[in-house]
Amino acid sequence: MVKQAFCILAQIGVLYLHYFIGSLIQKGFDLPFSGSILGMLLFFALLTVWKPFERFVEKGANVILAHLPLFFTPATVGVMIYFDLFKGSGVLLVIITILSTLIVLVGSAYTTRLVHKARERARG
Amino acid sequence: MKGFGLALTLIVYVFARKFYQRFSYPFFVPVLTSTVVIISVLFISQYSYEQYMKDVSPITELLGAAIVALGYPLFKQREVIKTHVVPILSGVIAGTWLGIESGRLLSKAFGIEELLVYSLLPKSVTMPVAMEIADEIGGIPSLAAVFVMVAGISCVAIGPYLLKWLRLHHPLEIGIGYGSAAHVLGTSKSLEFGEEAAAISSVSMTLCAINASFLAPVIIALFG
Repeated sequence: MVKQAFCILAQIGVLYLHYFIGSLIQKGFDLPFSGSILGMLLFFALLTVWKPFERFVEKGANVILAHLPLFFTPATVGVMIYFDLFKGSGVLLVIITILSTLIVLVGSAYTTRLVHKARERARG
Repeated sequence: MKGFGLALTLIVYVFARKFYQRFSYPFFVPVLTSTVVIISVLFISQYSYEQYMKDVSPITELLGAAIVALGYPLFKQREVIKTHVVPILSGVIAGTWLGIESGRLLSKAFGIEELLVYSLLPKSVTMPVAMEIADEIGGIPSLAAVFVMVAGISCVAIGPYLLKWLRLHHPLEIGIGYGSAAHVLGTSKSLEFGEEAAAISSVSMTLCAINASFLAPVIIALFG
């Protein structure tokens, strides 16, 4: 049990290391991408080129993925300091944001469906 | 009371998760319920926002590792992604364009001032990239971050009803939809529909970020 927990923590440490390296690359080259996204690409590349690596990160990754919403919560709580924005005419901005987001959701999903179906038909 | 914020966040999260397992309505996603409860508690207790953010820094710090972890479903589903490269790319390009254009046209229709419009346009893109884009096209980065959150939360709360109603339930459609519209929040929502949807969502999120970085300045230059 203790050994298991230690193993998961160490694996999360390995994931964190990717984020750290990603951040260094981002700062070094002054890229418009976050260290975390670069870290993710690095992690993916490493898994692809070195197969046994999966064993060293599998448990940690699964634990963290099962609790993803926890890690976003502080960021969403951060919206509270902008409450004034949502008063008065600011409500319009929120409405536009929501409408536009739902248009993206449906539009991109629908485009995918059309292309996917057309390709399946072409293949017969 | 140092550490109150961390304890609060962990406890509220555990209950929010239990609650969602019991009542799985899209509106009760743990991110949304925990956020509402935590903000309410902070308001009522008059606990300082700055102190809260200091308290939760271990969680914020691990967010980076959590996003890195999204590379794992991506790796396990790489064959699925390879097979569906064309539909994924089409969906992502359509999604990015629709996001910027619909935001621009709606803002125009409602007569929103430019500074605000430019902060709102990159809302569907992952936060750091959205802030960068806003800065590039003449918006306010911190404001852009707020719209990114509004887009993410509203999409995972309302989106499932829309997708169900329109019968868009293939993992490919779910993954691309959530990844293009609601960045990492959408990707974590996609995980509820399985590894395949989550992997496709991670890819869409990343491609959308790259695509929007190029497309947003072009659209602004062309149409203003």
